[in-house]
Amino acid sequence: MGLLAPWFLAGLAGAALPVFLHLLRQYRATPRPFSSLLFFDRRPQASVKHRRLKYYALLAARLTLLVLLVLAFAQPFFNQAVPVSSGKRLLVIAIDRSFSMRAHGHFAQARAAAERTLDSASPALPVTVLAVDSLVETLAAPQIGKEAARAAIASIAPVDRASSFGEFARSLRVLAQNTGMQLDVHFFSDLQATSLPPSFVDIDPGPQSSLTLHSVAESREPNWTVESVTAPARVYKEHARVVSVVKGWQTEAAARKVSLFLDGRLAASQQATIPASGRVPVEFPGIEIPYGAHRGEVRIEPHDDLPEDDTFPFSIERADPATVLFLSSGRTRDAFYYQSALEAAGAGFNVQASTVQASTWTQASGTDFSRFAFVAVADDGSLNPALETQLSAYVRRGGSLFVLAGAGTLLHSRVAVSGMAAHPSDRSITGASAETQHPAVAGLSLDGVQFYRWLKLTLSPGARVLARLSDGSPLVVEEPQGEGLILTFASSFDNLANDFPIHSAFVPFVAQTAHYLAHSEEGASSLVAGLPVELRKAKDSGAAADVIGPAGDHLLSFSEATTASVFSPPREGFYEVRRADGRRVLVAVHADRRESDLTPIPDETLSLWRDMGQSRGPVAAGAGAAANRETRPYSLWRIVLILVLAAAFAESVLANSYWSGKRQEGSSS
Amino acid sequence: MPATSPTRFLDPLVLAQISRLDLVARTVVDGFVAGLHRSPDFGFSQEFAEYRAYVPGDDLRHVDWNVFARTERTYLKRYRGETNTELTVLLDASASMGFARGGGVSKFEYAKYLAAALVYLAHLQRDAAGLIVFHDVVARFMPPSSRQGQFMRLLHGIDTATLGRRTAFERPFLALQNVLRRRGLIVVVSDFFEDPGRIIQTLQPLRFHGTDLILFHLLDPEELAPTLGEPALFVDMETEEALEVSPDFARNEYRARITGHLRDLRTKAQASGIDYFFLRTDRPLDEGLREYLAVRQRRK
Repeated sequence: MGLLAPWFLAGLAGAALPVFLHLLRQYRATPRPFSSLLFFDRRPQASVKHRRLKYYALLAARLTLLVLLVLAFAQPFFNQAVPVSSGKRLLVIAIDRSFSMRAHGHFAQARAAAERTLDSASPALPVTVLAVDSLVETLAAPQIGKEAARAAIASIAPVDRASSFGEFARSLRVLAQNTGMQLDVHFFSDLQATSLPPSFVDIDPGPQSSLTLHSVAESREPNWTVESVTAPARVYKEHARVVSVVKGWQTEAAARKVSLFLDGRLAASQQATIPASGRVPVEFPGIEIPYGAHRGEVRIEPHDDLPEDDTFPFSIERADPATVLFLSSGRTRDAFYYQSALEAAGAGFNVQASTVQASTWTQASGTDFSRFAFVAVADDGSLNPALETQLSAYVRRGGSLFVLAGAGTLLHSRVAVSGMAAHPSDRSITGASAETQHPAVAGLSLDGVQFYRWLKLTLSPGARVLARLSDGSPLVVEEPQGEGLILTFASSFDNLANDFPIHSAFVPFVAQTAHYLAHSEEGASSLVAGLPVELRKAKDSGAAADVIGPAGDHLLSFSEATTASVFSPPREGFYEVRRADGRRVLVAVHADRRESDLTPIPDETLSLWRDMGQSRGPVAAGAGAAANRETRPYSLWRIVLILVLAAAFAESVLANSYWSGKRQEGSSS
Repeated sequence: MPATSPTRFLDPLVLAQISRLDLVARTVVDGFVAGLHRSPDFGFSQEFAEYRAYVPGDDLRHVDWNVFARTERTYLKRYRGETNTELTVLLDASASMGFARGGGVSKFEYAKYLAAALVYLAHLQRDAAGLIVFHDVVARFMPPSSRQGQFMRLLHGIDTATLGRRTAFERPFLALQNVLRRRGLIVVVSDFFEDPGRIIQTLQPLRFHGTDLILFHLLDPEELAPTLGEPALFVDMETEEALEVSPDFARNEYRARITGHLRDLRTKAQASGIDYFFLRTDRPLDEGLREYLAVRQRRK
């Protein structure tokens, strides 16, 4: 017996109130002066006695009500020995369908073993079927009868995701809790060591599970794979360099032919000697890349027993240098420094081809901004509202805008297009600090930069500061708007308001922000299956996205196309993704290469895992009835609440009786 | 009672708002006398004494307008009392006289008003008046006199009287018997919380002496019918004895006993030739004055 919330017992102090009202007040009757007691007798008064009896009954009812109310809040409970489960058993057939199960016919063996287990099980036993990879999917709900389970087993197919035994154990715990049944779990897997979670506790299936592990893998299964491919996602030149790494697990030293295919055509081939259980890099320099997006593959030959990981897909795109539109009122100082910086950055950065096209406000009206990589605006005071509206619409549709807060911002006390409030500050400041992780400003050192005139920005909701002046004022602010974003620099690039344009950090700053605004740094050449690909930035956008799978089918439903913000490609191959902002990307997806390591879990670890599941289970342990019971708190608050209602009723009856008596006395007197 | 009636001034609650006792007495008696003009049956009359020339400040009601019609001069008619009676007021100042229901006038205050009114009435009649304030001892004794300033001395004596402890009739009446030299009128104002037989036994020797006795028995309405919603602890104001009283007892048995006490006292007083008059402190004073005048009339 105990209390779940004993602190509520402090409420018992409230019981003093009725005691005060009934007893103290009753016996502390205020003396009433009377002229003479000549006509009164000193004898017991029957009516007084009767009244007191009523008082005590009412007091007891009220005290009981209060105490029970406090008890209800304190949640009393007693420990009750209950069976571990309701006595029913549930047969759980779990099959590993991860990428590695394709090797050596493991998956077929697992399915056959599962079917045999199902056949040998009692027909009266309810069965459920789970498919295990990095997620756990219930293919057949718990039910008596084998047909559904058999069909579920037959429907399982390998996927390209990795397996996670931690996730599997968690799902077993949840299943036992939801069903309240004793789980008799049969797990069919190659039992890869790489699928174990870092903490052994995470694979505990829970006290109600009896785990039987069916390994379908040998102890030593050699496997070669293309572990990784390093290739630029986008190139602006004719040739590109591709580096791949070939790795062997539990393998002898061997020679393998490593080939690079582009759009199915052999682009290059090399012979590589892979050391025993080692890895070797294979470089393909000077691969000719035609214009457009291409499907690349690095393949090793001959294939082994897991041929799916002998190929590594990647995407590469060749594009013309993107154009940046720089808008100003005709004064050329900002544009000059910006253009010079971008051209200078071409020697040290991959995005070399960005050019700047200077344009006046008048020339910019009616311009289709979407054909530029991004637009830079030097707000020197002559930005007209129509153009501002046009730029705002461009940003909301997914465009990127770089705003230099100049005289125009000062004039209107707000940043153009963004609308952020800005106030002048003529205080000279030296130095600034930038975020170390953000791709637009990472690694930049603004120490020693002198800012003579700058604007103090008041951040709007959702804005993020990427760099701050030494007094903490925002210097570079990123503000998402719609599908696009605005990057605001709180000063200008005219070498008058600051000396930043002639500082060494200026060129990398311009280059990095240009890459960031042009999305040219976005996307790797290949993604792991199951990882998300971004479809849209704004959740409320109505623009549709689209994903075309390796088989050429559209993978998004209508609802997903208009609302989903990410998409997780389920299997290897090439996916054509059209984002909500209109940009198209070719995404190459490969299986998690941890699955290529077929090394099984050591026997002693397996033994521990198996024992963890069986030692507490009634089936394997064969313990007595006492072992099958556990102590659980049984809350009494419902019973107490019923008693509260009864006490409240009694109190009402007694109080009503008392008051009606009092009214009669009053009326008769 | 109509709002214009002069006796409206006799309401105890109204009188309680007048701070000076002489004003109380004048208010009561003047209002009472004015009311008597419409009640000739009571025969309040005064004997003509003389005419006096009017001087500013005199009451115009006393101007003889017949003389004015004939002589065009204003004269006042002056009267004097028919007899000279010696009035002695015995004022009970025991602690029980201090009882008052919530917001009401206490018995002691009511008794003071009554005593002052009687003294003023006697002063108007040119009667000699005296005062004895008593509780278990004689607290103040002012022998009857009609000398100049006696009226104000009596009012002062009444006004400054304070409550004592218990009631004991024997001691003050014994003292009165010793000083009483001629027959007169003795008015006893008390709540008479005592055995009626004992009271009459104490007063009867005065009656044998030829003195007329009037007992004004004052009781608060709350004393007649205590209102109790729940049991209460009653504390005797004289003895400080405490007793728990139930509403049931107060409603039934106590009322029967107090009614019996009143009846017994009235019967015994009448049997002894003593005038007895019961007054509730929520009733106007004129009833007491009527009783006094009736007795005085009888003495003519």
